Amino acid sequence: MNTTWYKDFDWLTILIWVTITTFGLVGIYSATLGPVSEFLPAHIQANFSRQLVWVAISVVALIFIQFTSPRSFQQLAYVVYGVGLILTASTIFVGVEVNAAKSWLEIGGIRFQTSEIMKIATILGVANYLTSRRNIEAVNLKTAIVATTMILIPVAIIVLQNDTGSALIFLPLIPVMLFLSGLPYGISLLMISPAIIGYLSIINWKYGVAATIFFTVAIYLLQKRPWLGVTTLLAGLILVTGVNFALTDMLQPHQQNRIEAFVNPFQDPQGAGWNIIQAKTAISSGGIYGKGFMQGTQTQMRFLPEQWTDFIFCVIAEDFGLLGGALAIFALLLLLMRQLSNAQSMKTPFAQLVIVGVVTIYFTHILVNLGSAMGVVPVIGVPLPFMSYGGSSYLSNSIMLGVCLNLYFRQREMSPFA
Amino acid sequence: MQAPNGRRIRTSMRILQIAIIIVFVLFLGRLFQLTVIEYDTYSPISERNSVRQENVNPSRGLIYDRNGIILVENTPVFSIYVTPIDFSSDNIPLLAELLDFPIETVETALQRARNFSWYRSSRMFAEIEFEVFSRVEENIWRLPGISHQIESKRVYPSGVRASHILGYLREVSREDFRSGTYRLGDKSGRSGIERTYESFLRGQSGTQLRRVNAYGQGIGPFNEGSLDMAPVKGGNLTTTIDADLQRIAEQLMEGKVGGLVALDPNNGEILAMVSAPDFDISRLSGRLDASYFGEIQTDSLRPMFNRAIASRQPPGSTFKPIMGLIGLRSGIITPETTVFCNGGYWRGRLYRCTANHGNQNLEQAIKNSCNTYFFHMMNRVVNTIGINDWHAMIQRMGLGRVNNIDIPAEQSGILPDSTQMNQIFGRGRWGLGDQINLGVGQGAVAATPMQMALVAAEIANGGYWVQPHLVKSITYEDGRVEPANPGKSKIEWIRDADLIPIRNGMRRAVTEGSGRFYANIQSIPTAGKTGTAQNPHGRDHGWFIAYAPYDNPQIAIAVIIENGGFGSISAAPIASLVIEQYINREIRRQAVFNMMLNFVPRDSNVDR
Repeated sequence: MNTTWYKDFDWLTILIWVTITTFGLVGIYSATLGPVSEFLPAHIQANFSRQLVWVAISVVALIFIQFTSPRSFQQLAYVVYGVGLILTASTIFVGVEVNAAKSWLEIGGIRFQTSEIMKIATILGVANYLTSRRNIEAVNLKTAIVATTMILIPVAIIVLQNDTGSALIFLPLIPVMLFLSGLPYGISLLMISPAIIGYLSIINWKYGVAATIFFTVAIYLLQKRPWLGVTTLLAGLILVTGVNFALTDMLQPHQQNRIEAFVNPFQDPQGAGWNIIQAKTAISSGGIYGKGFMQGTQTQMRFLPEQWTDFIFCVIAEDFGLLGGALAIFALLLLLMRQLSNAQSMKTPFAQLVIVGVVTIYFTHILVNLGSAMGVVPVIGVPLPFMSYGGSSYLSNSIMLGVCLNLYFRQREMSPFA
Repeated sequence: MQAPNGRRIRTSMRILQIAIIIVFVLFLGRLFQLTVIEYDTYSPISERNSVRQENVNPSRGLIYDRNGIILVENTPVFSIYVTPIDFSSDNIPLLAELLDFPIETVETALQRARNFSWYRSSRMFAEIEFEVFSRVEENIWRLPGISHQIESKRVYPSGVRASHILGYLREVSREDFRSGTYRLGDKSGRSGIERTYESFLRGQSGTQLRRVNAYGQGIGPFNEGSLDMAPVKGGNLTTTIDADLQRIAEQLMEGKVGGLVALDPNNGEILAMVSAPDFDISRLSGRLDASYFGEIQTDSLRPMFNRAIASRQPPGSTFKPIMGLIGLRSGIITPETTVFCNGGYWRGRLYRCTANHGNQNLEQAIKNSCNTYFFHMMNRVVNTIGINDWHAMIQRMGLGRVNNIDIPAEQSGILPDSTQMNQIFGRGRWGLGDQINLGVGQGAVAATPMQMALVAAEIANGGYWVQPHLVKSITYEDGRVEPANPGKSKIEWIRDADLIPIRNGMRRAVTEGSGRFYANIQSIPTAGKTGTAQNPHGRDHGWFIAYAPYDNPQIAIAVIIENGGFGSISAAPIASLVIEQYINREIRRQAVFNMMLNFVPRDSNVDR
């Protein structure tokens, strides 16, 4: 590091990070220390101060990471991946159960969610693997399969931990990281098409069919291979049928209810539809300017469940309205865009892949969390990066951000010409 | 290491950026849709969520005596409410534990509330202990659908029982509840003044908007309470009852069976009204004491029956002054007309008198209570004006009809005309013999103590029918006072001159006749008439009607002691003691008072 190091440092990202964190802290404060918080259990009223401690720890961690050589990430990638896998797997045997998910390790009184560590571990491992292959083109099927497997192993373990929501977060890494490594456009599209077709089929099977036809045409035009088109068409149609079959026959009634509630929450307003209605009501009743800090009735009166974690955005939108909510969304968008533009300006594929992987993880969290809160995605409990209450999530996200900042800040050390 | 070429990477990044931007734009659009376009859909839900309308019970009006002594007031009690739709059956054991009730009790109460309404909150348990109440209050957040309220019950601080006058409250019936005025568990007056004046006493329920959380916990007023509607307190009633007089009258009537009505002859204000035996309304206040309620309902002496306005007994000799007035008005007699009494009256058979009175004019006949005189007169009445005119004239005085006193369950008594005689005996199966009896208040004639008190009042006040009533005025919360407007009307056929011999006879009955032993108060000139009504089922009933002071009547009274034997030794002393208390504000004849407290009815000789 030279004396003008501060000129190279990405201060914009830090500013965005501070903004988002502030939004989160304000939301947590409003949700847990509002005018009528005396009805809340004491350990929840302590959430705000606990989160402050975690922010402090995360700042230390983020600064500490800046002193590491970027090369060490690549060198230690497999070690980190391996240790991560062992830690994650160990929770199945010695973990602490929270909300029916056995995904927590308790060390010295501090609980930590191992799947959070696994995110950066997986990104580093896969990025290292993909960039260490001579022929990275994904037409090399073996490379693609190994990379996919490296992602699916932690997914499988986390599913075994009974934390399906967290496991889902890893899946988008597969198409994105392979795509960045040269997977053909059509194949990449084929890989993400089931998610979109499936999502639309839940809403209405006709949308599913339309999406299938769209993807079939698009993939055929991109790859000019008839068998790919046929595969897309068949897979798509099977998916649409499967989703409908699952909705009516295969899923347990309570699972069906959940899906049903997402499509039409007012069918069971007191039961499955409760979360969705209350979340939408909180956001909507905020109006343009919001009800004011700690004035949101939905929040203060605890109509929202888990408002300091999964529904933190509702708190912000209710208190600060369209303006506050849009500002928060915009800050998140800026964070992602800034990282992507950083990645674009870099020369080393490993650094690019890691940053894109981190952005993918952030993006997936944001997509699911905001989607749940605004009632466009079935409710899956995942935290909103840097906003939701939760120590391990905040620390893990900060570490990932720290790695991204480090890779950008000290990119010259990574350069093959350095 | 052969990386993908730069162009491909740049394109991939661009695609990724575009995808992310599209998603974020969709989110921003969705946020706009929710907060702006659908604001009107969801905002009311939010308001409904956070604001609950609560009923605020008005405080029931108080009841005072004529001198401002409080007879009925309210005291706080603690109640538990349930809104069945919000209450989960899983919480029954918890609620039962907190209340320290058996689970079945809670289940029954919950079922009862459900039967009324799933959506409205109903009182589940009333009048629970304060510690139990605070225990539930602390845990209310664990019990969605349960709420609590501080309410009130009636207390009677004056020491006056007045159970038949004041009446008791009971929880409203399902029908009342349906009408919308009441909620389950509300109480309304079931008897006495509480019932008649229910709509005035009740007041108006208020509403209160309270902010609540998802667990139904109230967390403060909504909009600083600006939209709340304060309840309107019920009106306070000032009754005509004199608390001290009522207390003395109740003491005197205790242990006896009968009725007592004392009223102001000038305006019909009831000063005291007792029906014995009575019951303890304070035990009927608040939570129903089922065993006590059952006890007084099944008691063979019927303590809940208001004898003062509903017992129908032949008035016996107290009827004679009325006969005298009719005789004078119809010209059958003049005050000077004499009838010779040799111990009875012959008309087909012997109608017995109590003694050989010799020559009797009207005044003497009333003083001596000479049956012969009035048998003779009734014979003349039947043969001249007839029973129907006789009926019509007496009915004007308030007998044989209800006088619309302002408490329920008043009876009209019996005062026959020919139609009724047909009904009683059968058409053509009654004759002179059945009518001559009526002249001495026996046979097919019956009156309530209140009607006889009214007769005494009419003689005292110069022939005016006055509306007997118990409530003097209503004072509303805003300070408005609405006085009662009781009717008063001249009974046309009663002439002032005709009243003179009647009054003299009644005065002499007290000073020289049957009333001289116990009814002749030295300090208060009293006029009265005893009566002993024959009772085919047992001992005779003792009657006494009176008014005082003789020259300036302030009180008119009628007392009946069932199975009390002679009126002169049962009803008369009680009536005179009440008069003494009212006029002198104290009882000077302590010996008579003590004697009447321990009075045990004894047989009267019907043949004498």
